[in-house]
Amino acid sequence: MSEGTSGTTESRRIAEVARDRVRFEDEALALSDQVFRVARRMVGSREEAEDLVQDTYARAFRAWQQYQPGTNLRAWLLRILTNLNIDRGRRVQRAPDSQPLEEGDYFLYNKLESSLPDENPDEERVIQRLSQNAVVESLAEIPHDFRDVIVLVDIGEFSYAEAAQILDIPVGTVMSRLHRGRRLLKQQLAERAVSVE
Amino acid sequence: MSCDCEDCEAMMQPYLDGMLSDEELAEAREHLGRCPGCEKRYSFEESLRHFVRVAAGEAMSADLRERLAGLRSAPPPAP
Repeated sequence: MSEGTSGTTESRRIAEVARDRVRFEDEALALSDQVFRVARRMVGSREEAEDLVQDTYARAFRAWQQYQPGTNLRAWLLRILTNLNIDRGRRVQRAPDSQPLEEGDYFLYNKLESSLPDENPDEERVIQRLSQNAVVESLAEIPHDFRDVIVLVDIGEFSYAEAAQILDIPVGTVMSRLHRGRRLLKQQLAERAVSVE
Repeated sequence: MSCDCEDCEAMMQPYLDGMLSDEELAEAREHLGRCPGCEKRYSFEESLRHFVRVAAGEAMSADLRERLAGLRSAPPPAP
């Protein structure tokens, strides 16, 4: 193959960049359901979540060349989303340690079980005391430092390392917030258990 | 009886997350094997995590999907 003129080399390069960009956009858009799923539970309303996701993609598409191909695109997008969410004024409201001490991990089960008439109910019956709404409302009640970690790990199915990268906190902090956050969630759920018909 | 449900409760999250040391794991398993109460609570926790994941999921609207597609730099090249 012969070398093209500098003009064709340049146009070839431009075409290549355009293809890379389209590929990036395809890959990013393929993750939008997962991005929305996380965003929806990080902010209060559906509308806010939609705007946040839209702004995230607008920024990602502008900054696409900063993304290192082969690295975790899902985490990269969520990092943008998290930063935008903070920029929107959602600063750290309180130190996690100022939260009241939570109940233990068996608290919810014990509470639900005691609300049932059966002596030794099976677990299926116990979980039926919870509604979808209760989950949504309970999550919304949890301070965001804890909620973000639960949303990323337990709902978005990100690893601890990914959550740490997205939130820019150490992995150990992810683990401790997750641990306490789940307990806080169970406490909230216990308050919203449906009564036995 | 070495059955200590309090220890077992404290190990539940790291157990389900696969974060226990071998020694702790053996301890938890030994306890779970003979304590139906704890066994049931562990199993409930697993179901709860699944329930939370499903219950918290909300689908993206067609409108947002369109808005995102509209942000693209250019239409994808013809095949």
